[in-house]
Amino acid sequence: MDTQFLYSLITGIFIGGVAGYLGSLMITKRMALVGDALGHVALPGVALALIYGFSVSLGAFPTLILGIILIWLFEMRTKLPMEALTGIVFTASVAIAFLFLPEEKVSTALIGDISQVGFWDTLVSAILCILTFLVLLKIFSKIILANLSENLAKVEHIKVERYNFIYLVCIAIVVALGIKVTGSLLMGALVITPAAAARNFARSLSQYSYGALLIGSICCVLGILAFKFFTLPAGPLIVLIASLIFLVSLIFKK
Amino acid sequence: MEKDIVLKVENLNVELGREKVIEDLSFDLGEKEILVLLGPNGAGKSVLLRTLLGLHPFKGEINWKKNIHIGYVPDDFDVPPDLPLNVKEFFHFKRINLPEILPALQWVGIENPSKFVGKRLGTLSRGQLRRTVIAWVLVDRPSVILLDEPMVGIDIQGRESIYNSLVKIWQKQNQAIILVSHEIGEVVKKADKILALNKKKLFYGKPEEIITPQNLAKIYGYAISL
Repeated sequence: MDTQFLYSLITGIFIGGVAGYLGSLMITKRMALVGDALGHVALPGVALALIYGFSVSLGAFPTLILGIILIWLFEMRTKLPMEALTGIVFTASVAIAFLFLPEEKVSTALIGDISQVGFWDTLVSAILCILTFLVLLKIFSKIILANLSENLAKVEHIKVERYNFIYLVCIAIVVALGIKVTGSLLMGALVITPAAAARNFARSLSQYSYGALLIGSICCVLGILAFKFFTLPAGPLIVLIASLIFLVSLIFKK
Repeated sequence: MEKDIVLKVENLNVELGREKVIEDLSFDLGEKEILVLLGPNGAGKSVLLRTLLGLHPFKGEINWKKNIHIGYVPDDFDVPPDLPLNVKEFFHFKRINLPEILPALQWVGIENPSKFVGKRLGTLSRGQLRRTVIAWVLVDRPSVILLDEPMVGIDIQGRESIYNSLVKIWQKQNQAIILVSHEIGEVVKKADKILALNKKKLFYGKPEEIITPQNLAKIYGYAISL
């Protein structure tokens, strides 16, 4: 097995896992499509990274933060629904990116290319994934409780606003990392599909969240293996395998 | 503050938007006392409860006894049917484990609690969910409990049994209670004090003094008898 391939696998396992875990929270909070939208918001940063040859995650992250701040400011100013404002920001981002994204880089930006990750990229991704997972693990039950009753959570001394902010930062990190694997267009699938499949299998919250983590990692491993054998792009293969697992999970849904 | 007073409220005013929801309200709650907040829908009872818990801005004074442990049973606790959260995991949110969960569920009249803990919250009936939340709030023994319409949406039989369990717990654990109710029933007779509210304080005192047909007509705008 060549080193390059090993890097791709390791990166996929970590990012797929943490995206799945985060997805179990996002589906519960009915925010599953936010991952998808933010994947698009990141596109100008991804385009810059591809042109100047640095990590796409590094390019995506500041654009994501800027996008989130803009959506938040617009919401404060207009009180329009969050989804409408997200729609405005993400389509504008895509439009901006396509003004300067070179044609030969379009495919990498939209569906990712994990075959080129290097040692440092892999190491930094793995560390970031572990740290983000640990943070999510700590805030998981608090966010779920606040989702069931915000007032109850506050009375139990849970700083709901603070946890929501940490949760949003985690989303930005995971989306930035996920773009490396499945690209801007397909990033949403990494958080939605494994968690949705796990929800069908799960009989408890821990089965659900860890199931999503496991399915996320498995999709990435199988997708990257399939890419090696069929020489088709890895991003779409990962997403299709996740969709297949979702279909299988329907059998288990009571 | 006097030693046996857990809560003292003075000249409390609450506005939501630009509407005055509570006007110039003063009352207090002693240790082990049961205070029932009565009033029609929209009288500001739930807002008052949430204000006492620090969830709404207010003018005036709300003084809780220092370091008091407050439990709150909200009126808006709903669980999506497909959320795979079981009863045991729900208690784990509070870092409470099985040896404490089982007796707490028994307090609120859940039969066969060791089987019940494996059930998903989203599949419970309204009554069972209500009991579970009450048990969850009571499990770490708060010294005062605030309950917001705990019987709403529950059939008469269920109400009676939840009510009986609550009375048993009160007798055993002796917490101070503030209970919001928009109806008058058995629960009122157990109260030490009644605070009848319709934005302003209408009546405040012992149940036998407050619950008269004339007063009830004033509180609800029409005649009611028990």
